[in-house]
Amino acid sequence: MRSLTKAILSTAVLMQAGVVAASDVSKAAAIPVRIEGSIVEGFSLLRGGKPFQIRGAGGHEHLDVLAACGGNTIRTWDVETLLKKTDGVRLIDRAAERGIAVTVGIWLGHERHGFDYGNPRQLQQQRDRVVEAVKALRDHPAVLTWGLGNEMEGPTGSGDRRQIWQEIDRLAGFIKSLDTAHPVMTVVANINPAKVAAIKQHAPQVDILGVNAYSGATGIGGQLRQLGWEKPYCITEYGLPGPWEVEKTAWNAPREPTSRKKAGSYNVATREILADKACLGAYVFLWGQKQEATASWFGMFLPSGEKTITVDAVTDAWTDHWPADRSPVLREVEMPLDGRLLEPGAKLQVTARYRDPEGEPLSYEWEVRRESSDHQVGGDVEQRPAVVPDCIVMADAAGEATVRLPRKPGAYRLFVTVRDGHGSGCMDNWPFAVTTTDEQGSTR
Amino acid sequence: MYRCAAGVRNVGMVWVWLAVSAAVVVGLSRAQADEDFGDFRSATLTSKAWEALGAGKLKSALSFTDKCRELYMEEARNQQGSVNEFASDEDAPKLWALNDVGTCLFIEGQVYEQQKKSKEAVAAYEQLVAQLGYAQCWDPQGWFWKPAEAAAKRIKELEFDAKLD
Repeated sequence: MRSLTKAILSTAVLMQAGVVAASDVSKAAAIPVRIEGSIVEGFSLLRGGKPFQIRGAGGHEHLDVLAACGGNTIRTWDVETLLKKTDGVRLIDRAAERGIAVTVGIWLGHERHGFDYGNPRQLQQQRDRVVEAVKALRDHPAVLTWGLGNEMEGPTGSGDRRQIWQEIDRLAGFIKSLDTAHPVMTVVANINPAKVAAIKQHAPQVDILGVNAYSGATGIGGQLRQLGWEKPYCITEYGLPGPWEVEKTAWNAPREPTSRKKAGSYNVATREILADKACLGAYVFLWGQKQEATASWFGMFLPSGEKTITVDAVTDAWTDHWPADRSPVLREVEMPLDGRLLEPGAKLQVTARYRDPEGEPLSYEWEVRRESSDHQVGGDVEQRPAVVPDCIVMADAAGEATVRLPRKPGAYRLFVTVRDGHGSGCMDNWPFAVTTTDEQGSTR
Repeated sequence: MYRCAAGVRNVGMVWVWLAVSAAVVVGLSRAQADEDFGDFRSATLTSKAWEALGAGKLKSALSFTDKCRELYMEEARNQQGSVNEFASDEDAPKLWALNDVGTCLFIEGQVYEQQKKSKEAVAAYEQLVAQLGYAQCWDPQGWFWKPAEAAAKRIKELEFDAKLD
C-alpha cells in the first residue's frame, strides 16, 4: 500500500512537471490546459493548474538539445510526425519523456495544393481526419494545444475567404465536443485587417490565434490590438526576416542575414514576444534544418546536425544563460565577390573568420553552389542545389580561402560551414553571379 | 521591413514653399548638391531616402535624411510635443513632419549599420526613441508602423551583438 501510494505520488509529481516515461505514457492521463485572463490584464496558459509560458520550437528533432536549452514545447504541422516511431518510440512519447509539451498540428488542406473548401466530399474527409486525430491523442499527457491547420488561408492575399474560416470554426467545434482539456489554436500566415476580421466573424470557437511572422513578429501583438482581437495569441513561427522580406541582388537573389545578425534577431524577438502579456508564447522556426532559399536560412541546425548560434541566442533569451558549449561567432569578413557580377573562372581571395567562445579549434568547409531556382511559396519543399566542383582552390584553418569562380555563367552562392567538433557550428553564405564581360555592362 | 508609403501625408502648398525657401537660405553642401531633392517635401525626401537605402546608395540616403531633418526637425519636435499618445489612423497623417523625420532617423540608423558604424547607428535610433517616439509610418498592409519601436528593437539587437565578442 505504501509503495503504491509512493508510486502514485511520484507519477503525479512527474506528470505535473510534464515528464512521463515512455512505458508509462499509455497509462498516463491528459494534463488539462486552460486559458486565464483578459486582453486588458493579459492571458496565461495554465497546464495542470500551473502557469505555462510556451518557450517553443517548430520542429521534431533535437529534443534533448531543446530541453537542455530551456525550451518546453514543440509544434508539429501534422499528426503523422508525432506518431512516427524512432527506435520503437513515437515522437509524442519521446517528448513526454523529456518533459516537452506538444502543440499537435493537424494539417488542413490548402487551396493552392488543390483542396477546395467548397467541395463537400473533400471537407468530409478532412473532418473525419481531424476527429480521428483528436480521438487518438486527446488523452496523451504531452498534448498542450491543438494546432488546427497552418496557413491554409494562403501565404499571400487577404486570407479572408469566408468558407475557409467557417470550416475552421466547424472543426474547432468538433474538437471541443471531443476534448475539453486542450485549447484550439489556428495558425495563419501573418495578419492583415481583413483576415483578422474574418476570423473574428466566422471562427469564434477558435481559442488562440497562432501567427507565423518573421520581420514583423514583435509587432504582431500591437497590431492585433489595433485590429480589435481580444483573445490570446501565439507567434507560431518566427526568427529572422524571410527571403521575401530582405534586400535582393541585381539578379534578384535574396541576401541572407549573417549568422551573427540572425542571432540578434532571434534573441531580441524572443524576449520581446514573450514580454507581451496577451501572448501565450512562441515557437522559433526552425528547430531542425531545411532548404528554403538556402540550406541555412531558417535552419537552426546545420544539415550535418550541429546546433548554430541561433540556438545559443534563443537559449540566452529563454534562460539568461548561454548553453554549455557555444557556437562559433563570425568576427571578420572580407568577401570581394559578395553581391557582384564577376568574370567566369576568375580567382579571388576570401576571408570569413570565426571565434569559438570556448577557444576550441574550428574546421572550415567552403562550397560553391548554384543559386536555388526551385522557388516555392509558403515553405513548400525545395531541392538543395548541388555543389559546383573544383571551385575551392585553397582553404586554411584560419578562415581564408581561394575561390575559382565557375566557368558557366549564372547565379551562385559561396557557403562556409564552420564546426567546433563538439556539436556546434555555423553556416554563412554570400551570393555572386558569373557573367561574360559583355553582360557586365555597368562594370565597364 | 515595412516601408512608409509615400503620399499619405497632407502637405499643403505653404509647406512646399517653406521647404524650397529653406533650401535656398541654408544652401547645399557639396554632397547634397549632387542630389535631386525633388519638391523638398518631407514625404519626397523620405521616399528618396528609402529608395537610396534599398539601392545601396548610402551617401545619397544620408543626404536625403539630413535634408529632411534640417528642414523639418523643428516642426517634427513641435508635433511630437503636441500629442501624448500615438495618433489614431485618421489623425496620424496630420503629424506629417513627425512621421517623416522619425522615419528618416530610422533610415539613418540603417545606413550607419550598413557602414558598420554601430555607435552612430545607436545614436540615430536613440534620438528617434527619445525625441520622436510618436512617429508613425503607413504600411500598405493596413496599419501604421512605428519607427521608434523598430529603432528600440535594433538598439537591443546591437547590444546583444556586443555581447557576442
